Amino acid sequence: MPQPLEVLARRYRRLLLCYPRQYRRARGEEIVATFLDLAPPDRTRPTVREAVNLIRHGLRCRLGRPNSRGVVLGAVLTALAWGLFTGAFAARLGWETARPLPTEAEATELFGRMLGRDVTGQVVVDPALFVIYGQPLNAQNLHLLFSPDAGEYQQGRAAVSLHGPSDVDHRALVDSTRAWLYAHGWRVSEVVIRNRVACTGCDESTLPKEAVFAARRGDDVVSLEISLGDPRPRPPKPGVDGYDETYASVELTRASPAAVWPLGVVGGLTGALVGWLTFGWASRRTEGRGRLLRGSTTVLFGIAVAIWYVPLVVIVPSMLVDQLETSAPSWPPMWEWLGQPALLPVSVVGTGAALVALAVSALPRRRELATDARPAV
Amino acid sequence: MREPTFLILAALADQPRHGYGIIQEVAALSAGRVTLLPGTLYTALDRLAAQGLVARDREEVVDGRLRRYYRLTSDGLAALDAETARLRALATVAERKLRRHVRDQPAVAVRPRPA
Repeated sequence: MPQPLEVLARRYRRLLLCYPRQYRRARGEEIVATFLDLAPPDRTRPTVREAVNLIRHGLRCRLGRPNSRGVVLGAVLTALAWGLFTGAFAARLGWETARPLPTEAEATELFGRMLGRDVTGQVVVDPALFVIYGQPLNAQNLHLLFSPDAGEYQQGRAAVSLHGPSDVDHRALVDSTRAWLYAHGWRVSEVVIRNRVACTGCDESTLPKEAVFAARRGDDVVSLEISLGDPRPRPPKPGVDGYDETYASVELTRASPAAVWPLGVVGGLTGALVGWLTFGWASRRTEGRGRLLRGSTTVLFGIAVAIWYVPLVVIVPSMLVDQLETSAPSWPPMWEWLGQPALLPVSVVGTGAALVALAVSALPRRRELATDARPAV
Repeated sequence: MREPTFLILAALADQPRHGYGIIQEVAALSAGRVTLLPGTLYTALDRLAAQGLVARDREEVVDGRLRRYYRLTSDGLAALDAETARLRALATVAERKLRRHVRDQPAVAVRPRPA
């Protein structure tokens, strides 16, 4: 049976796995001996404070360059970016557990009841939860994700649009639809009134308006846009874009399934850890190397970080404003916050720069070259 | 220079010490206020070694445990000396201000309250 001190030493050695192997070989026994010297006789396992201390300093040690603070910043940026992107990818996997969209018949019945009219033949349902140009992603259209059209990859929906002259007042339609939603257990957002068309240099008060609101029940999310203008159709106005005769449109999408959250968190933490360890490996590999090699890896890494973070800085604030203005009951999928897949071609360039930096870091040192070049005995 | 770094250098000023010895000496120098954990200590020693302030002295095995001793280099001695002088100068200024405050305190205390 092992002695308590041996058990304690083994547990400290286990925590030392946070340090790089070479460091453990050089300093591991010394650190364990110091812990054992400090431990009271009855201690059988490391304290939480000791464990946190070893994990924290072990992860720092993996970055090498003990005299540098910039290396910690670089590692944090890399870990955060990798965590976000892998978290988004894991969240997309979580979406595979979502319920499929309703069939056309189911959607027709739901929209008909919601709007209080027959919408037979006017409902369109996408063939999958996520589509690109109305089609599920497959081997034939995968290349679109790496093209400027990547932004067309969107959540699939069941939708209906009502056109032409209406037999009811549009404000009454807003009220009756909201009343039906409330009565049937939907959680309904506030109504936002906005301009129905975009117009530069117009008197905003003369522009047609529309009421926009959303509702959620279970994993069903509906977004509604109902015109507040004259029920009778009007000819297009000069200088006004996009004016059509549609007076109401409803879209049904699926809310994030429960599996998205745990998968996103686990994926994010795993990606962050892998990002930290990979950055640390490259940092240790390039420590003390020639100026050209260190300079080139720094520039390549800088390009990668800029490409990873610029979309975040640009997209997140605008999406946040949109989300808060419309008070939608469901948040967009995580990857859209990262500008994906619309900016996938750009992100691929950033990842390419990071991979080249890793490849340059992996170049053998001169001594290794000399050793490798030695003839076999 | 941060306080733990200063205390580690101070602990090594009179003789080389191993990790456990440094931790004990730092606790004694700070009257038990600073208790270094080994993870923190060895990260600091790596940094100080990279700066050329600390170097390995010797190693021995006691009761089957490896003890590696560290000593101050001449640069380490100079850095400790400079930091000590800086702290002493700051302490002198603060002390002078405190003495002046204590001297002026009675006058403040007897000042009559406004009606």
